[in-house]
Amino acid sequence: MISAQEVREHLKRIPYPGSRRDIVSLGLVGEIVTRANDVIVHLRPSSASDEVLRHLTGRIVALLSGVPGIGQVTVHGGRARTMGEQPSPVAPPPQQPLPGVRRVIAVASGKGGVGKSTVAVILALALKALGNRVGILDADIYGPSIPLMMGTEATPRAGQDKKIYPVEKYGVRLISMGFFLDDKSPVIWRGPIVMGIVRQFLRDVLWGELDYLVVDLPPGTGDAALTLAQEIPLSGGVIVTTPQDVALLDVSRGIAMFRQVNVPILGVIENMSYYVCPHCGEREDIFGHGGAKKTGLEILGEIPIVEDVRVGGDSGTPLVARHPDHPVAQIFRQIAQRLVEKTAVLQ
Amino acid sequence: MPKPLLVTPIDEERVVRILWDDDRVSDYPFDYLRGWCPCAVCQGHGGERRFVHVEKPQLVSIGTVGNYALNPRWSDGHETGIYTFEYLRSLGDQLESQDSDPVKG
Repeated sequence: MISAQEVREHLKRIPYPGSRRDIVSLGLVGEIVTRANDVIVHLRPSSASDEVLRHLTGRIVALLSGVPGIGQVTVHGGRARTMGEQPSPVAPPPQQPLPGVRRVIAVASGKGGVGKSTVAVILALALKALGNRVGILDADIYGPSIPLMMGTEATPRAGQDKKIYPVEKYGVRLISMGFFLDDKSPVIWRGPIVMGIVRQFLRDVLWGELDYLVVDLPPGTGDAALTLAQEIPLSGGVIVTTPQDVALLDVSRGIAMFRQVNVPILGVIENMSYYVCPHCGEREDIFGHGGAKKTGLEILGEIPIVEDVRVGGDSGTPLVARHPDHPVAQIFRQIAQRLVEKTAVLQ
Repeated sequence: MPKPLLVTPIDEERVVRILWDDDRVSDYPFDYLRGWCPCAVCQGHGGERRFVHVEKPQLVSIGTVGNYALNPRWSDGHETGIYTFEYLRSLGDQLESQDSDPVKG
């Protein structure tokens, strides 16, 4: 018959994935019970993901089964538990990324009026045009404008357990506070309510399988933006700005926000970057030029002021859907391509 | 900034053991972690951080906050402390540099 102590010695040969440390010294192995030749290993609740636990269980069983004198091997636990009246420490629930959603990209701006939502919509369609499955979460709950820009007033269908299905338009799945408000009611909410709604949008929407979820954050660095950063691991953030210095001042606040919550900044999109006169073809830098370069971040693209972009938004047929071959649509596809590359590296 | 690879509370030893992705391992005694809670309820506004004594704090759970922090819940209902990874590392340094008083440091 083998002793618990001997079993523990054997288990010291199993390293934790990604580390040189073994699972015993890390405290993962809790109680070990031996009964005749059979061994039961209890793992302590920890932040280890289900995948890691499956891997470790396999290794423990394989290792111990190979030890002479050991019969049946059972591995228990690893997950959070509640026992009796005395609550025992349970581990962090491993951060639940949205089920089925591979990458989440937040689109932010330090200030309002820079065309953040317009950019988010066209960017989402550009990601779709590259063959990805894409969703848009309109987290700008104070001024949800994406339903108008996407040209839909549908009401999301309810699913089971109070879940909701996103609306689909142009092959992109979409959820917005705009679907639940009538046009004229102003949204006057305090922070905690805002956080509750953002949370519900994150947890209760049945997105299905998505390669990218594009999140249109409210302007600024307030509650909704912070909640998002706290609730889900964002793959990265994109900051939209205009070229003038005043806008850049606000951009630095957006940068600071992403940095504070450890979200990688993928780059800056300079919107309303320049104007090309439709009559003479001359380029004019209305808001100055090259400002976004001062941030030291990668410039993902410079979007000129073009009537087609504005018309697309106002009529609910975004540029990439309306004129796929438009020069500006091409700029967006390049930006989307760059984001695909950058987020692939991050994973 | 290093991030935790594995967080395991160990009741018997009354510590939270953190494995960091640079392979460092630190044990944070419950009393120490609770005492150095960075939240505004414990620390007020500004001034030096101080140690808040709590009798035998019991850890109920510890969760992650986004990509940047851990948030423990204690048996006295206290759960407003958001410990950034950076702060936890500095607490770890402090723990290692002092062998005199493992609790207050």
